[in-house]
Amino acid sequence: MLLIRCPYCEEDRPEVEFVYGGEAHIARPLDPAALSDQDWEHYLYIRRNPRGRHHERWRHTHGCGRFFNAVRDTVSDRFEQTYKAGEARR
Amino acid sequence: MSDAIAIPPLAVAGTDLALESNAVLPGGVTLTLEPPASRWSLRARTAEALGAVIGRAVPTRIGETLDGIACLGPDEWLADPPAGTVVPDGAGQPVSVVDVSARGVVIRVEGASAARVLCSGCPLDLERFAVGRATRTVFETVEVIVWREQADMFRVFVWRSFAPWLWHALKAVQLG
Amino acid sequence: MSGYRLPAGGRINRAAPLDFTFDGRAHRGFAGDSLASALVASGQMLFGRSFKYHRPRGILGMGTEEPNALVTVDRGETGPGWGRATPNLRAPSVALYQGLDAQSQNRFPSLKFDLGAVNDRLGALFPAGFYNKTFMWPRSAWEKLYEPAIRRMAGLGASPATRDPDHYDATYAHCEVLVVGGGLAGIDAALAAAQGGSRVILIDEQEELGGGALSDQALWGEVADKAMALRRLDNVTVLTRTTAFGYYHQNFVGAVEQLTDHLAPGEAKGARERLWRIRAGEVVLAQGAIERPLVFDGNDVPGVMLSSAGRTLAVRYGVAVGRAVAVMAVHDSGWRDALALKAAGVNVVALIDLRAQVAADLVSAVRAAGIAVHLGHAVTGVSGRHGVSGITFAADGTGHSQQLAVDALLMAGGWTPTVHLWSHAKGSLRWDAGWGAYLPDVPQENCRAVGAGAGAWDLGSGLALGTLPGPKPIWQTKAFVDFQNDVKARDIDLAVREGMRSIEHIKRYTTNGMATDQGKTSNLNGLQIASGSLGRAVTDIGLTTFRPPYTPQTFGALMGHHKDALFQPIRKTVIDGWADARGAVFENVAQWRRARYFPQGGEDMHAAVARECLAVRQNVGMFDASTLGKIEVVGPDAAEFLNRMYTNPWKALAPGRCRYGLLLREDGFITDDGVSARLAPDRFHLTTTTGGAARVLAMMEDYLQTEWSDLDVWLTSTTEQWAVIAVQGPLAREVIAPLVEGIDLSREAFPHMAIREGRICGVPTRLFRVSFTGELGYEVNVPAEHGRMVWEAIHAAGQAHGITPYGTETMHVLRAEKGYVIVGQDTDGTLTPDDAGMAWAVGAKKPDFVGKRSLARPDMTAPGRKQLVGLLTEDPNEVLEEGAQIVADPAQPVPMTMLGHVTSSYHSATLGRSIAMAVIADGRARDGQVIHVPMPGRTIRARVTASTVFYDAQGSRLDV
Ligand SMILES: [Zn+2]
Repeated sequence: MLLIRCPYCEEDRPEVEFVYGGEAHIARPLDPAALSDQDWEHYLYIRRNPRGRHHERWRHTHGCGRFFNAVRDTVSDRFEQTYKAGEARR
Repeated sequence: MSDAIAIPPLAVAGTDLALESNAVLPGGVTLTLEPPASRWSLRARTAEALGAVIGRAVPTRIGETLDGIACLGPDEWLADPPAGTVVPDGAGQPVSVVDVSARGVVIRVEGASAARVLCSGCPLDLERFAVGRATRTVFETVEVIVWREQADMFRVFVWRSFAPWLWHALKAVQLG
Repeated sequence: MSGYRLPAGGRINRAAPLDFTFDGRAHRGFAGDSLASALVASGQMLFGRSFKYHRPRGILGMGTEEPNALVTVDRGETGPGWGRATPNLRAPSVALYQGLDAQSQNRFPSLKFDLGAVNDRLGALFPAGFYNKTFMWPRSAWEKLYEPAIRRMAGLGASPATRDPDHYDATYAHCEVLVVGGGLAGIDAALAAAQGGSRVILIDEQEELGGGALSDQALWGEVADKAMALRRLDNVTVLTRTTAFGYYHQNFVGAVEQLTDHLAPGEAKGARERLWRIRAGEVVLAQGAIERPLVFDGNDVPGVMLSSAGRTLAVRYGVAVGRAVAVMAVHDSGWRDALALKAAGVNVVALIDLRAQVAADLVSAVRAAGIAVHLGHAVTGVSGRHGVSGITFAADGTGHSQQLAVDALLMAGGWTPTVHLWSHAKGSLRWDAGWGAYLPDVPQENCRAVGAGAGAWDLGSGLALGTLPGPKPIWQTKAFVDFQNDVKARDIDLAVREGMRSIEHIKRYTTNGMATDQGKTSNLNGLQIASGSLGRAVTDIGLTTFRPPYTPQTFGALMGHHKDALFQPIRKTVIDGWADARGAVFENVAQWRRARYFPQGGEDMHAAVARECLAVRQNVGMFDASTLGKIEVVGPDAAEFLNRMYTNPWKALAPGRCRYGLLLREDGFITDDGVSARLAPDRFHLTTTTGGAARVLAMMEDYLQTEWSDLDVWLTSTTEQWAVIAVQGPLAREVIAPLVEGIDLSREAFPHMAIREGRICGVPTRLFRVSFTGELGYEVNVPAEHGRMVWEAIHAAGQAHGITPYGTETMHVLRAEKGYVIVGQDTDGTLTPDDAGMAWAVGAKKPDFVGKRSLARPDMTAPGRKQLVGLLTEDPNEVLEEGAQIVADPAQPVPMTMLGHVTSSYHSATLGRSIAMAVIADGRARDGQVIHVPMPGRTIRARVTASTVFYDAQGSRLDV
């Protein structure tokens, strides 16, 4: 079981308190109607799935309840860092 | 090889679990079901904004408690104030005040080994959990709020329908 | 009969004899014995049959590494087959207790006469890869012939056939330093770590601390002193009989503590095992080392065992492995063992070492002890089938040979540091030529290895060999490498000759190291043999990876608390007890249990549901709807938020009014629905489906926190705050009217789809006028603690009106008569609002809502989509099966073209016939057409109705 640092609680907490939330920094388009079908498909379904550094969302569901962002290495399964939702990609 | 396996029915089924008012665990730890009380879930962007609406100081750091109010998240507090306290509903204000008095119950876990009993299913290091601190966490698969009132007394807030399971899971803990 | 109890010595308590049975035969041992030591002491050298060839096997090792001596221990008080039988226990690790009942495995009909042993005689037919090659063709024969036959022959032990009556404990634990392994290295590490006051946990799998030092009498005093010192420290937790089975990320270690299996069943109290989930600041691995067998023809005859096993038997248990014992060594430790055995009173007659040169002090000491020394020799054969009767050994294995009558042969093949947990935690390894083994190198966690497991222990020096040299070519020998999976040296050689190059391939082709012992005694020998066959260095052919668990663990231990009544929480409403007392039949919905129907006087479900349905349509019924998910949405932007989430418009909804909300995922498919009420300009009371409550709240939080964090609105789950009592039927108003205060219930003041706050039975209520039945109805929300009281009061008040409690089954029928969908039953995550016939619920003028853009994708508007429609069978008494497939042409050859499937189907007492809903391709265009539902042996005809509303299409019964 991983320990995950919640940037809101400022504490390492056990993985069972968290829920994974998919790739991070995919903002919902402000005007979805303006998107082509292809762009909308890209927003909905296409994900990077990198080997290595992955920017992803987690939610401290059974803690402070907040979504936040993390950089995790998909090879080693280690968290490089976590930061608050809304902060720039790291 | 394909002989049917005859599994006898359980003596106690999960549906038979019921809350009790008190229990004493073999290790001397006691469980007590607290009587119903008024509680609110409070939400606001900042502690100041909330404090201004409800007319009370509220803790500012996640995990801190102050006069019966625990800060659970950056915009979330649990108010479990002394009986008789009235919390205004904040109508029209940028806050959320929701009565959750009946949503759950509080199980008081008391005794020298109280932390160890909770550690049976809670992954936090409760031995090092400061007195006066509160947090949302889990006991196995059940979400709880753990509030350490004293070194040897924790209050565990749990939603009503999960309480019988939690009560009996705590009772089943074996120390030593 | 070769082993026997020495007249003195050992750590056993000779004043405390213990009686036990093995395969039904009575034996006697002593307190402090293991099952293995007690059996060897009584002359039993044959412990089991091997997995593939059913060869007779004795013990190989006296520790966790033991591959052969697997037994089933039956702890039942009421005879065999009771759920306390545990298969595949390693006899050396089974503590002896009074009355222990152990059985050998993998033999039929008896251990000495085993029919499966024919596999051994036919051994040439079962080479490596035999199963892969032989049973490939024809495919149909696999299912009918090969697999059943193999299954009958294979398998280690048998599962218990009845419920496990034991319970299991579990805990988390936190410490600054966790030490795994309670030998002297581990004890020293724990003592050092404890000096600064840190919390220290020391884990050891044996009955007592000491590890390998328990087999060295000179160290007993030191072990005792240090163990005492540890137990005096408050900050140290010592867990014996505890196996650390897995080492996971960030120093999270799983361990299982045996609590009662070492006690006689009658003395066992409390949980059987405890799962420890330990988070440590630092982990110190002191797992020691495992001795390596030597690979030569006949090395699996019972009585051939590791030198360390012979020593442990003699020194720790006071047991001689034989009356005339030889040692075959390629390592100094065998010489020290020979001396220790001799000192313990064992008759060691010969020490054979392949090396021409051995340290002079060892040679002179062994000679002085009266043991014949044969340097530069190797054992080339073992006589005896069920036990050793003699050995042949030859100069350099191939030269002049001689024979020696012995009844036990000890093998000293060098040592393999135990790096299992180190590898679990992804620590790297380095090859150490001196040890002829891999040693811990760079850790990935805050972890270090100490003692023999780190290569930091002086066990002497020796050779690292693949096989002992011998006169026969490898393919003529039965020289075993993996004893548990019956892999021989020649199998590995064959794998190489057939083209395997990586040890990962060789492992899978031969199954070397793939048994339950994960190759604790075979991996290094397998590597060395493959290296020799390939002509490449060991380090060039790779290393297989150790994975948890280090040793097999019981399912019970891994489940911990989650067993029987505590298996998982079963959520019950505050009204559940009332229903239970009235004999309700329940069903599980998500984690909740809900009353399904209330049978009376021997009614079956059909009769009860028909009665309940008619009561609601004609008079009034009451239903516990407390499990509905509820979310309180509060804040100045509450309406704006809901407007963005739901398909329909919310901003204009007046306080006091309700609205049906349809929730899509961003991909445009229906995910939830519910009726919600506006209590105030900035406060809404949302409802969700029972199963969707947590998911919907999480989804809304996601949008709120990460997309629209500018909105001043907050969400609070109030599912359990409110008990909900649905009172439905033409007389609903009359029933509640006398109980309600402060609310005008008249049709004009309180219309359909409205909410009022007031009091009922003296407690506050949020009273919804809503209906999931198509009748006049109310949903009475009261704080949960009052739910039971209000329910009973309504039930009492309703008696005069014939009020009838009903369950979820009736609720389903009533809503189906009205064509109301149940998300998750009539929808399956692929239906759009239009597919479900709910285009009316989509606010066409709204610029955006979650899922809107997806509804405009070409595939979402293309013809041919499945649409929800009604079905009426031609035979009104025919009730279709939910999930049944629908076709247009039943004469079409299989596979037919499927048009869709039945989603809901009931007998409607109100309509006097069956009704169904289905999703069918272009369903609405098929209005009036006949479709076919093929069932086993027949085909059912039904007519499509574009509308799913079967009853009161005008809704006149609602607006009264
Ligand atoms: Zn947090």
